[in-house]
Amino acid sequence: MSAPDEERVSMAVDEDRCIGIGQCELLEPDVFRLGDEDAISRVVDGVGLARSRALELVDRCPSGAISIVEPVA
Amino acid sequence: MTERAKVPVSPADIASPTVYLDGIPHEGFAAIRAVDGLVWHPYGDEGDRSGFWAVTRHADVREVSKNPEAFSSAIGHTNLWDLEADALEARRSLIDSDAPDHTRLRRVVSKAFTPRTTRTWEGMARDIAAELVEGYAAEGGGDWVEKVAAPLPIRVILAILGVPAEDAEYMVELTNHLVEGTGEGSSLPEDAYGNTTPTRLLPFNSPASHALYEYAEKMRRLRMDQSGDDLVTSLLEAEADGERLTAAEYRNFFQLLVFAGNETTRTAMIHGAMAFAEHPDQWARLQADPSLVTTAVDEVIRWASPILHMRRTASRDVELAGTEIAEGDKVVMWYAGANRDPEVFDDPYAFDVGRADNPHYAFGGGGPHFCLGAFLARMEVQVLLEEMLARDVVLELCSSPVRQASNFVHGVSSVELAVA
Repeated sequence: MSAPDEERVSMAVDEDRCIGIGQCELLEPDVFRLGDEDAISRVVDGVGLARSRALELVDRCPSGAISIVEPVA
Repeated sequence: MTERAKVPVSPADIASPTVYLDGIPHEGFAAIRAVDGLVWHPYGDEGDRSGFWAVTRHADVREVSKNPEAFSSAIGHTNLWDLEADALEARRSLIDSDAPDHTRLRRVVSKAFTPRTTRTWEGMARDIAAELVEGYAAEGGGDWVEKVAAPLPIRVILAILGVPAEDAEYMVELTNHLVEGTGEGSSLPEDAYGNTTPTRLLPFNSPASHALYEYAEKMRRLRMDQSGDDLVTSLLEAEADGERLTAAEYRNFFQLLVFAGNETTRTAMIHGAMAFAEHPDQWARLQADPSLVTTAVDEVIRWASPILHMRRTASRDVELAGTEIAEGDKVVMWYAGANRDPEVFDDPYAFDVGRADNPHYAFGGGGPHFCLGAFLARMEVQVLLEEMLARDVVLELCSSPVRQASNFVHGVSSVELAVA
């Protein structure tokens, strides 16, 4: 669980690594969405995630396609 | 390269198929997990060359899963026994590949199995589950495998593939023969189903694979004449990196989807039903609070651990859990062991439908080979439980299950249950 004042970070998906499993969209549907045609995950929201949750998403991605980019200003 | 000593040797036999006739050897897995580092497990008749490193702890299964560069799915077989190069090539599928081939093949089917697509199949699966549960309850029970656990997932995967429902029993017959190939060997003569291919070149060394290949070819011809809104059509029309699947890739894909889409989910439904019959307090708890169904689904799947292991082969010298693994060594992830690891699961031998923290590895250890059908399997188990709850079905065990001698699928061929 993230503390309310936890730093927020934005996410990125490496589209060459993504194999369209959909774990990210299931966990954070407001941040990730799989393409309707290609089922490749893309970041659809720039608000980002609390760093601890972001680390969990990075960890849970089976293909290692998700990374943390930078703190959201 | 000097061969390193393969020690310590496993304190328990977890590889002989017949061991599984008494169920998963949980005490054996516990003994192996308790040894520092990895243990070397003898296997086959070629001495050290055919044995394997037994990976049984949750954290170690994860490390192997997440490091496909060092632990390859492509350079050796993904089952325990070795294959010659031509046999490996003939059966190559999504399971037996590494990136970039794996990425290319996976993308051909990924869209059909995302959480979002899976939700579109829910109504269809629920209708089938309702029909089967109603019929089973009306008869007061019977063989749970034959009457509910086998027909439900095969009918769902065949509907997704676009295969006629009337062929469901034939598909179950064929994939049952494939499971035999992971145990004491096929019960079929080499030329069964008109097979003329040497069985060593067929998946699971089974002539039933020939029959599945023939069926895949029949479906291909049907869909070339008239395409459908189904997965067989998608397989045939898919272009991955600008290229269609080869004939061998298509038929291996078809065979994999039919096998994995039914034997695994069936096994979860069998062990789930048996667990609820043996733990009536947990069924009563679910009846009292149906909102527990989502945690119950994952507990059923952890409990069942339908696929017992997957093998990797070290692509280079690598260290794991303090053990030096040599290039070419077999490294086998035993999900059945990881799913009872007390380092991760509180009271791991308790069947607990409310288990909130349940990071089981029944769908694999979290790497790129993560089960393609994970969300489909969860959905199917959930609709089954919900349709049973809706009809107040309470199961009782009438006899011991007839277990399969397989170290790969936690299989049960039949189990008589009664509806109380």
